[in-house]
Amino acid sequence: MSDTVLVVGAGPTGLSAAAGVASIGKKVILVEKEAVLGGAPILSGYAKLVPSGEWAKDAIGRMVKRVEDNANVTIHKSTKVVKVEGEAGNFTVTLSNGQSANVGSIILGTGFTHFDSINKPEWGFGTYEDVLTTTQMEQMVSSGKIACPSDGRVPERVAILLCVGSRDRQIGREWCSKICCTVSTNLAMEIKEISPQTDVFIYYMDIRTFGLYEDKFYWKSQEEYKTKFVKARIAEVTKSADNRLLVKGEDTLVKRPIVIPMDIVVHAIGMDPSEENPELAKVFGIGLEKHGFVEKGEQYTSSFSSTRRGIYVGGAALGPEDIDTSISHGLAMAMRAVGDMNALVQKAA
Amino acid sequence: MAIHEKTLIDADRLITSDKLVVDGVDVSGHWNTMILPRTLKDYDDDFETKIKTYSGAENVHRCWQCGSCTNSCTMYAQNTDFNPRYWIYLVRLGLKDEILKDKDIIWQCVSCNKCTNICPKDVRPEGVMKALAHWIEEEGYGSKSNSSIFDEEFTRQCLERGRIEDSEVMSNFFKNSKQDMMQMALHGWLGIFVARMNKWTELRQGNVFRFLSRTPIMHSLHMGLSMFIKPKTKSWGRTGDVLKQYVKEQKELAHG
Ligand SMILES: Cc1cc2nc3c(=O)[nH]c(=O)nc-3n(C[C@H](O)[C@H](O)[C@H](O)COP(=O)(O)OP(=O)(O)OC[C@H]3O[C@@H](n4cnc5c(N)ncnc54)[C@H](O)[C@@H]3O)c2cc1C
Ligand code: SF4
Ligand code: SF4
Ligand code: SF4
Repeated sequence: MSDTVLVVGAGPTGLSAAAGVASIGKKVILVEKEAVLGGAPILSGYAKLVPSGEWAKDAIGRMVKRVEDNANVTIHKSTKVVKVEGEAGNFTVTLSNGQSANVGSIILGTGFTHFDSINKPEWGFGTYEDVLTTTQMEQMVSSGKIACPSDGRVPERVAILLCVGSRDRQIGREWCSKICCTVSTNLAMEIKEISPQTDVFIYYMDIRTFGLYEDKFYWKSQEEYKTKFVKARIAEVTKSADNRLLVKGEDTLVKRPIVIPMDIVVHAIGMDPSEENPELAKVFGIGLEKHGFVEKGEQYTSSFSSTRRGIYVGGAALGPEDIDTSISHGLAMAMRAVGDMNALVQKAA
Repeated sequence: MAIHEKTLIDADRLITSDKLVVDGVDVSGHWNTMILPRTLKDYDDDFETKIKTYSGAENVHRCWQCGSCTNSCTMYAQNTDFNPRYWIYLVRLGLKDEILKDKDIIWQCVSCNKCTNICPKDVRPEGVMKALAHWIEEEGYGSKSNSSIFDEEFTRQCLERGRIEDSEVMSNFFKNSKQDMMQMALHGWLGIFVARMNKWTELRQGNVFRFLSRTPIMHSLHMGLSMFIKPKTKSWGRTGDVLKQYVKEQKELAHG
């Protein structure tokens, strides 16, 4: 029997789970495959987060520090788990750095992979320098200057294309990535703030700024920041004679074809299942659901269980998720991991 | 109020009466034109189900109106009235009358399937276009072109008798395409026809019989005769039926 908890992945989910377990006084082993902690918001350099408006490096930075400063947490960076043996309450795990450990429960916060826009060649990413992804645009916002990568001019117009790599049977992605509508409306405001002469257009099929994100992001960007919303899914992005980008499609509300010049086109990329998932499924002996995300067990009374007893999963590993929800998942998993270990200890006694 | 901007209103919504009495007041004359309201009154709930019975249109209910089919469409590039997205919307709601407004262009789909390849919901819009064209034809909404009316009569005679009777083809063609031969004759058509055949010279030269036998007048006599005498090719027998069956099978194959 062991009452140490293994947490895999140091994104918002894993950091929250590690802090949660440690706060109850249990030991945590935190394993992260990258050299830095923080997950996608840090690794991809997100700018200001929704909905708090705080810079990612500050907000997530605090989460990292809280875990690093906690004596109950042992951190292994640039490390993976290569082998899991045993059962709930008594797992033996082997790490890629050669160490091994005995743990009672395992928490997976292994997250997602960004959609690679190269898979949608008609929208110009990889062909034109001024076609960017939301993560690249966030990095530009963080740098404090909005300019076309091709020649450094200040863009007159920026187009954000929603649902790139989401909601598309043609490329086998039948899910909504949940956060990109909100992230895009937020980005539109950030661009306008830094560069007031730039007009931002959002091309959408549906706007899904769920819950309290509706007025705070969608309405605000339309009403206060003059973002224009066009109901159209773009056919292709090409280049005009004067080196601007041409966005072609059908404006479905006007029922007319459009060929609109833009200076920067931004892909609101979606959240794919982590490319690690097939390997994780093998190493941890867990199932994946039909899209390739990690499969959940019964939700109502065995929340955040995977298909293997003693292994819990939450955050973006389960499907597209926002940071606030991922943090709650982390805490809930800490509760379950420690609670289930206690029950096993009591049963044994 | 008199209607000044009639061009802005669909022609079929403008109703002009010779005599019009509204609430007992005779408003004939300057006030005799009414506009039919544009409000949609109802949905035909069964229409989508009906269209889905055509092979290729089974996924029409999946459409979320993103417009990708339209903006990739070969025909839309030629004519922006050719709008698969819009027609699919009308199918889903059962707005048949709106679809029928475009009945003369829906069949123009060239089956390039660009729409099918781009559609994020795998609706297969090309199949829906084909289904609509079939439906329009089967329900008899399509107005046939004169050339297909001619073809039909020609084919009918071939299959029935193994030969055609020129004058009967012509007279039935005029009848089926609602062209009044007498009117056409009176409008000088016969004269022009005769002139083109340069037959007036025959008459001037006194060759009355030649003139008569080579002009549409003789032709007309022939037409009259063929109303009663319809000769068949020798031992035609069941050949026509066999051919008919074959043509039918080939058509079905082609339309999948
Ligand atoms: C463009 C974009 C902008 C976004 N902006 C916001 C925003 O403003 N606000 C918001 O709420 N949400 C935002 N999100 C969503 C946010 O990124 C996710 O909700 C969040 O990152 C999920 O956290 P996570 O810890 O579950 O996964 P991740 O952040 O993906 O973290 C997973 C961690 O696990 C590690 N890992 C993976 N596999 C292994 C393994 N086998 N072994 C060891 N370690 C492993 C990874 O390296 C990573 O560090 C955005 C998403 C995108 C795509
Ligand atoms: S959140 Fe918005 S942009 Fe993202 S996949 Fe869903 S609908 Fe598309
Ligand atoms: S198959 Fe028909 S509807 Fe589809 S793109 Fe080609 S012409 Fe347009
Ligand atoms: S591409 Fe598909 S989903 Fe989009 S409008 Fe056309 S049929 Fe509908």
